Amino acid sequence: MPGCGASKNKKENAMTIKITLDPITRISGPLSIEVEIERNKIVNAKSSGVQYRGFEKMLTGRSPLDTVYFTERICGICSVAHGVSASLALEDALKVKPDANGVKVRNFAHAADFLQNIIRQICLYVFPDYVKIAAVPGSTGNDFRLPEKFTRKINEDYIKAIEYSRLSHEMVALIGGKVPHSHGIFVGGTTVNLDPLKIIRLKSMLQSIRDFIANNMVEDINIIAEYYPEYYKIGGGTGNLLTYGLFDEMGEGELHYVNPSVYINGKIDKLNAKAITEGTAYSWYSGNKTREVPSMEPTETDIKKEGAYTFIKAARYEGKVMQVGPLSRMILSGSYKNRISTMDRLMARVLEGKKLSEKMLKLLEVIEPIPAVQGKYAIPESSVGMGLKDSVRGALGHWIAIEKGVIKNYDIVTPSVWNLSPVDERGQHGAMEEALIGTEIRDGEHPMEIGRIIRSFDPCLSCATHVITDCREPYYIELI
Amino acid sequence: MEVIKLVEEAIDRVKEGNGAKINFIWIEANGCAGDIISFLNADEPDALYFLKEMVNLKYSPSLMQAEGERAYEEFLETLNTDFILGVEGSMTNVENGFYDIFAYYKGKTVSVAEAVAKAAEKAKHIIAIGTCAAFGGISAARPNPTGCTSLSVFLGKQVVNVPGCPANPLWVMGTVASLVLYSKVEVDDKGRPLMFFKDTNHINCERRSYFDNKINAQKLGDKECMFKLGCRGPVTKAYCPIGRWNSRINWPVGDNTPCIGCANEYFPDGSEPFVRY
Repeated sequence: MPGCGASKNKKENAMTIKITLDPITRISGPLSIEVEIERNKIVNAKSSGVQYRGFEKMLTGRSPLDTVYFTERICGICSVAHGVSASLALEDALKVKPDANGVKVRNFAHAADFLQNIIRQICLYVFPDYVKIAAVPGSTGNDFRLPEKFTRKINEDYIKAIEYSRLSHEMVALIGGKVPHSHGIFVGGTTVNLDPLKIIRLKSMLQSIRDFIANNMVEDINIIAEYYPEYYKIGGGTGNLLTYGLFDEMGEGELHYVNPSVYINGKIDKLNAKAITEGTAYSWYSGNKTREVPSMEPTETDIKKEGAYTFIKAARYEGKVMQVGPLSRMILSGSYKNRISTMDRLMARVLEGKKLSEKMLKLLEVIEPIPAVQGKYAIPESSVGMGLKDSVRGALGHWIAIEKGVIKNYDIVTPSVWNLSPVDERGQHGAMEEALIGTEIRDGEHPMEIGRIIRSFDPCLSCATHVITDCREPYYIELI
Repeated sequence: MEVIKLVEEAIDRVKEGNGAKINFIWIEANGCAGDIISFLNADEPDALYFLKEMVNLKYSPSLMQAEGERAYEEFLETLNTDFILGVEGSMTNVENGFYDIFAYYKGKTVSVAEAVAKAAEKAKHIIAIGTCAAFGGISAARPNPTGCTSLSVFLGKQVVNVPGCPANPLWVMGTVASLVLYSKVEVDDKGRPLMFFKDTNHINCERRSYFDNKINAQKLGDKECMFKLGCRGPVTKAYCPIGRWNSRINWPVGDNTPCIGCANEYFPDGSEPFVRY
């Protein structure tokens, strides 16, 4: 029916209602969600990535240095993160020790893109879930609870968000030439020749962005949290957390943020990259076996596969479902209480923006206004490299294998492959599916909870379904 | 700048009531959704002002409030009006469009290919936004796993092509301004607006004197001409040295890296390797 925002098919069992939401708007890329509801409660959920591009197939045979600019084009909203992970993987494979100042500059640009993402995700993608935003088309008009004065304030901040997210990207462009798909983040650190004028320009931009996040956005998210308190109780999902680290190479002082680490069953541990696997039991790829990462060759699609429902694979750590993103980083760095819900994910994202912008101001103080340190990089006959670093949405890993001077295999595991993953071969739901299951739907005609829970994960389908890995190598790994 | 004047003039016309405000559908096909992000980076005027004053944005997956069936209905309703169709991302139509799904409506899956074909029949103007839509781009890079094509190949007719990876918001802005103002835009034989794609980046490059004097950069970060490092400026028609990027703050050459020809018909395969020493 018009206005209900969902398709409903009553199945044979009259008690179960199936709802498919597609498109899920205000995320990056195409996502379809199917939930089954019994007595107003979600009893099953399927997260379905409905786009496929096959980047890893494209990368085979190309020049290794091209991966930085090539893989950035996986994602329009988080391109810098791919540039960073690709550069790290190349530095590992080429045995290049990046320049210390260059790494600081690269981290600054990486964090600047975080701010762009956080402002756009919270203000442009999430606000319309809770507040009527006059500037955008297609209002749902359902379950909007804010009084007029707060609605007006958040509408004003929506407009300001356009300005401050653009300004965040201007910081990236000052370092990277342009963005999306920037050039200045590269093997060795950066290509930009910094000078005092650029430094002070970055500082002035950053201060106003920091003020917008720390003042306006923190207040906005607290207003929303106050009027939607039950969202602190729903949409939690797995308590297992994972991060590849951020600003972890910046020493142990105030610049440091979070180390590569995991939280499993109440215990924090160092990350073990060898414990990462990807499965395809319910994905449209041939084969059902869970594989160690990196895999040895790209996967073939199999869109007729029985039971499969997504182009996203199932990333697991020691066989376990993990949650990644701002909330995981904030908890693992001791910056946020260990509580997981829809609203906590939003709150942690905003507070991380504030925290990062303050760290960036300190980082600027230690960045030297000197020319870029770059070299002529020789490509080895054969080598392998790994680049693991958190992007805004969570753990982003690139693995490269070079043979005869060209890419033999390239493997990418993105944050959304963790959060949006389907059921695995053990029957475990992905993090977002698990967060949906058990949720009570207040109004069956307007199931607002579904979209709100999904957006709290900040899904990026552009990333999740562009990357596929091996299914053929006949080896298993032991799951602990 | 000429483009800014054009945009301002278009806005004035709309305000004076001399031009009707036309609806706009922005579809994200197979790509990275980076062209809408790039468009949000527009300034003077910014994306919001532009979309409010010059067009009625009726459908945009990244921005619209509605979701699911209601979102698709907004799309369907707009098809019966005067509208401009903007498509970013390339078109995949193998396996009945299964590699890129647009919506689920009344128990049926609608592919992006189906939605774009439907909208293109009725659109007053069609713009391919970004290199993927204009020429296939990185989504069609070899071995082209999803059989991607440009929008014009998919539709079997010429459209206005605004390439660039992503499309520079200034170029999209100026193109829509021209369509709003004059109901047409002057294009070259590849459908590219002449106001942005007349000259190569090389012609207007700030490092041209280094090229003319054969003074070459040895590595990224150097200040000289990067032709020997693989710069595609000499064969890439675009507006980068003049309009620059991100509020005109910089561009790849200004960042001591080569142009990789991202606005070219043969990008990325024909541009590789992007960097060579």
